[in-house]
Amino acid sequence: MPESPIIRIDGVTKQFNPGTDRSVTALADIDLTIAEGEFVSLLGPSGCGKSTLLRIMADLTPPTAGSVSLNGKSPATARRDRDYGMVFQQAGLFEWRSVQRNVELPLQVAGVAKQERRAKTAAMLDLVRLPEFARHFPWQLSGGMQQRVAIARALSADPKILFMDEPLGALDEMNREHLQGELLRIWSDTRTTVVFVTHSITEAVFLSSRIVVMSPRPGRIAASIDVDLPYPRTAETRTLPAFFDKITEVREALHGMTVAEDAA
Amino acid sequence: MTAMKNPPLAPTSSEGPSVTRAAGRTSAKAAALRSRLSTGAIGAVVLVLLAALWEGYKALGQATGDRLLGLRFPVATDDLSMPGVGAILGALVEPARRGTSTILGVYLLEEASVTLREAAYGLVAGSLLGLALAIVFLHLPPVSRGLMPWLVASQTVPLVAIAPMVVIWGGKAGLPPWVAVTGIAAYLAFFPVTINALRGLKSPPKVQTEFMRSVAAGRRQLLFWLRLPAALPYLFAGLRLAATASVVGAIVGELSAGTGRGIGRVILTFAYYYSNGPEKLYAAVLVAAVTGIVFVQVLNLLERFALRNRHTR
Ligand SMILES: Nc1ncnc2c1ncn2[C@@H]1O[C@H](COP(=O)(O)OP(=O)(O)OP(=O)(O)O)[C@@H](O)[C@H]1O
Ligand SMILES: [Mg+2]
Repeated sequence: MPESPIIRIDGVTKQFNPGTDRSVTALADIDLTIAEGEFVSLLGPSGCGKSTLLRIMADLTPPTAGSVSLNGKSPATARRDRDYGMVFQQAGLFEWRSVQRNVELPLQVAGVAKQERRAKTAAMLDLVRLPEFARHFPWQLSGGMQQRVAIARALSADPKILFMDEPLGALDEMNREHLQGELLRIWSDTRTTVVFVTHSITEAVFLSSRIVVMSPRPGRIAASIDVDLPYPRTAETRTLPAFFDKITEVREALHGMTVAEDAA
Repeated sequence: MTAMKNPPLAPTSSEGPSVTRAAGRTSAKAAALRSRLSTGAIGAVVLVLLAALWEGYKALGQATGDRLLGLRFPVATDDLSMPGVGAILGALVEPARRGTSTILGVYLLEEASVTLREAAYGLVAGSLLGLALAIVFLHLPPVSRGLMPWLVASQTVPLVAIAPMVVIWGGKAGLPPWVAVTGIAAYLAFFPVTINALRGLKSPPKVQTEFMRSVAAGRRQLLFWLRLPAALPYLFAGLRLAATASVVGAIVGELSAGTGRGIGRVILTFAYYYSNGPEKLYAAVLVAAVTGIVFVQVLNLLERFALRNRHTR
């Protein structure tokens, strides 16, 4: 990576319920650096620790061992400085707040004045192409629209990093592909560093500049694959031979580790 | 719980699909009105049916001498045991006492308003206490575990045993009797509020609490912007229980208090002089019931306003 690392993970290990008979080693000795402006996907089978790794970066759960630095700070400090925004699998919007008031929530928490909040929120709703829904309530939106609001909300305080945990996982295929395109547009508009969790190979290949393939029990990094398909990627990208080649390469990386595990 | 299908309060001046939205709103309003009318109609039908049942039972008993197929009626149907619906309603427009011009209906409403005020104060005080307890319990689980059994116990102690004690304490402290009555109403009101509010405060899903953490929200922001709004529907469920409980508390409190005011006091007096005018007691009970209904309806209106923008719950 030519640029300076904005995320650095050194020897991170995570054990749940250590010392009990329910003890699980979710992550073992993870090293990973992510440069500013990258779009990195964490890809792997269910239970390999993708969410756990993301949650450690976001200071939602502490690592058992190892260290993480975000934008040169500890995750706790980065969280308090609102250096990152987070999008979860469920939109998790507050149902009593209008779309606009949902999007401005991070700014409100940060104590930003109302006028500035409104201006910022309007810009964010433009970014996710929902300007005319500012006064709607979450239950009046489709699942895909709610997820776009969640993205706008995560970006409203101008974070340097965007963490996303299967944000499109609950959507149907068409909506999903559409939002993938939107997400790339938003990424190129904001130049945010994105860490994106998914277990869809196609999704990872279409979106990412780099794919980190993880293996389960305990969670490790099995491969780091650069995706050199040129941006901007469009529907046409999905038809290129290079796209399919990349999918095959990633699939083999995922597969190889399953075989290796079976042999062990 | 009622499903809130009200559309958002979007001003019609907003651009875009405002025309269709306004039209949708009118029809939604019409539907809401229709459903409210039909609710009212059902209520009226139930009232008429109850009255007809009462009168039919009475007429049957009168015709058969309270016996049917050799079995005695469980409740005698003479005018002393079961005054007619006409007599009860008639009593409402007759003078309350000999020598006064105030009719019974007005007198009862006046007394009921005294009770309603005690119940309302009790409800407000009890709910504030209940909500405060819920917030303390949320933040201090050990306190919750330690105190909860005592709260449960406090609600199982018979009210008739506690009410006179509270009245005596109030009297010793030189407080007017209505304060003691309000205290008893509050004592019954706080518990359902605590239980329901606590459930509501704990109701936000993990994705919402973790989102608040991810934006570094403080304790107070978490409480006021997430937990309390999320608790509102639960809070109203608790308030509705508390409202009926506070009316009961106020009435029972009046029985023990030497106020001589309030619908509870009136019921006691009329029960004492039952044989002089049985229909008066029934009229008083009727007004007491209506009082409770009005109280809960006011709360329902408040709830509808507070939750107007929510789809479910
Ligand atoms: N709070 C927890 N307590 C105990 N074990 C946990 C907890 N969270 C995760 N785990 C365990 O850690 C491992 C990794 O979980 P994680 O949620 O990170 O997987 P994942 O890769 O995100 O899977 P998925 O694709 O299904 O979301 C799993 O074995 C899981 O059982
Ligand atoms: Mg996961």
